Amino acid sequence: MSLGLQAPPSLGVPGKKRWAMVIDLRRCIGCMACVCADKAEYDVPLGVWRTIVKVKNTGSYPNTKRHFMPRLCNHCDNPPCVRNCPTEATYKHEEGFVLQRYERCITCRTCIAACPYNARHVLPNNRDRVKIGGVVDKCTFCDHRVEKGLVPACVQTCLGRSRIFGDINDPNSEVARLVARNSTVVLKPGKGTQPQVYYIKPERSLTEQAYSAPVSYAAREDARAFYEHNRSSKFFSGVL
Amino acid sequence: MFEFNQYNIAPWGYEIVIYFFLIGMAAMTFIYAAAPAVFGGIFGGVAGKAMQPFQKTGMIAALILLLISGPLLIADLGQPSRFLFPIIYFHWTSPLSWGSLFLPLFGLSIVGYLFALINGKTDWLKPLGIIGSLLAVSMPLYTGLDLMVHQGRELWSNPTIPVLFVILSISSGTALVAVLHLATGKLNDQALEVLYWFLYVALAATLVLFLAELVVLNYGSAEKRQAWQVINTEFGFEYWVLTFLIGIIAPLLLIVKPKLGRNPKVLVLAAVLSAVGAYSFRAVLIYAGQLGQLYY
Repeated sequence: MSLGLQAPPSLGVPGKKRWAMVIDLRRCIGCMACVCADKAEYDVPLGVWRTIVKVKNTGSYPNTKRHFMPRLCNHCDNPPCVRNCPTEATYKHEEGFVLQRYERCITCRTCIAACPYNARHVLPNNRDRVKIGGVVDKCTFCDHRVEKGLVPACVQTCLGRSRIFGDINDPNSEVARLVARNSTVVLKPGKGTQPQVYYIKPERSLTEQAYSAPVSYAAREDARAFYEHNRSSKFFSGVL
Repeated sequence: MFEFNQYNIAPWGYEIVIYFFLIGMAAMTFIYAAAPAVFGGIFGGVAGKAMQPFQKTGMIAALILLLISGPLLIADLGQPSRFLFPIIYFHWTSPLSWGSLFLPLFGLSIVGYLFALINGKTDWLKPLGIIGSLLAVSMPLYTGLDLMVHQGRELWSNPTIPVLFVILSISSGTALVAVLHLATGKLNDQALEVLYWFLYVALAATLVLFLAELVVLNYGSAEKRQAWQVINTEFGFEYWVLTFLIGIIAPLLLIVKPKLGRNPKVLVLAAVLSAVGAYSFRAVLIYAGQLGQLYY
C-alpha cells in the first residue's frame, strides 16, 4: 500500500534495500551517548531531540528495575506523516528513509500530529551555527552517513552495541539475523505504520501508550508544565 | 523515583480552534445566504423566500469571517510566507492540501456571488451559489478530515468527526444568521421557521454524536479510554458544562416546545448557546487529542 507515498513499502521486496534498526534492550545501559552523538552530528538545539532514551522504574522496593528505551523516528514503511504532509516536504526514500525537505516545510505541524511515535519536533529559529530553523525536523537514520557506507551516528557511538543498523532485506545482515533469531516487537504495530525499529525485550510500560504515561510526581508535573507552556501560540513565542 | 521522558506536542492551539469555528460559521452563513438562488422553489420555496432579504448581508458576513479566518490560519504556520506551498506542491492524500485549495475558491465564490448580486447578473447566482455551497460544505468537512486521518490519535481517528464538524458549523452558522436577522429586523415568520428547524436538527444530531463519542471512548481501546480520562480530568468543565449542558441541553430545552422555540429572542438565545457548544466541543477534541501522545 503506497497511498500518498513517494516510494512504495520496500520491506521484503527482492532487490531493494530496506534500512532498519534493531535495539537490543538487554544491552542498553542508559548512558545517553546516542543522544549526545545525535546532538553533535546535527547541532540539535536545547529543548528538542531527534532521539532520546526514555527511562522508567518499575516495581517497588526491593523488587525494582530501571528500564531504558531508546526512541527515534521509526522510518515506517507506511508513514502517516508523509501521507498527511500538504507540501510533500516530508517524503519517503525508496530505501526506506523518511526525510524532510526544509525548504518546503510550512510548519503546519500536521506531521507532528500524525506521528504515533512522537518523533518529530519544530526547530527553533534562533540557532547559532546551523541556520535552518522554524521548520519541522526529525531523525534521518543519518542518510548522509549511510550513503557513504557508514552507520548512523547513534549506532556508531553506542558503547554496548545496543543499536544495530542495516539492510533488513539482506538475510546476511546483522539486523536481519537478529530479527530472525530473537523475539522482537515494534511500537504500536496496530497503527498499520510498519515501523522499522525493532526492539528486543522491551518493557510493556514503555511500549504501550496507555501504560507509558508518567507515574512519578516529578515526571507528571514536568509533562503538565510542558503542556501548559507550549499550548497554543505560546509555543511560538517560547520556541520559535 | 527517577523517570525521564522527552515531550513533543503538535501544538494545535486556540488559533486552530478559532479557525475551525469561524470557517464553519462562514460556510453555513454562505449556504443560508445563497439559499434563494440554490434552493429556489425546493421545499415549497420556504428557504428561498425566507432568506431573500438576507443574501447581501449574509455574503458580506461570510466574507468578513473568511477575511479573519484565512489570515489567522496563515499566521499559525511556522513559515507564513510559504502559505501557497500546499497548492504549489499539492499532495492529494493530505486533507490540508485540499483545504488550502478550496479555501481561496470558497472566497472567490463569495466575491463572485456578491458581484453578481450587486450588478444584477441573476443568471450567475445559481451556478455560483451551487459551487459555493459545495465548497462551503467542504470547509468544515476538511477540518474534520484533517483530524480524522491521524490514525495515531484515537480521539481524532473517528469517521464521525467530519460529520460532527459539519453539524457544528450548522449550529454556529445558524447562530450568526439568527443574530444578524434580529439585529437588522429581518426575523420574520418564514426566516424564523427555517432557522428553527435547522437549529433543531443540528442540535439533535450534535446530541446523538456527543452520545456516540461517549460510547466510543468508554467502550474503545486503551488509548480511547486514556483520551476519555484526559477529557474528564483536564477538560471536564469545557466538555460537560460548556459543551453538553450549555451548548446542547440548554438550547434543546429552549426550543423543544415549538411555541417557545419560535419566539425570536428565545431562538436567538438558543442559537448563540449552541454556538458556544460548537466552539467548546471542537476545542476539547483538538486539545485532548494531543495530550495522550505527549506522554508517549
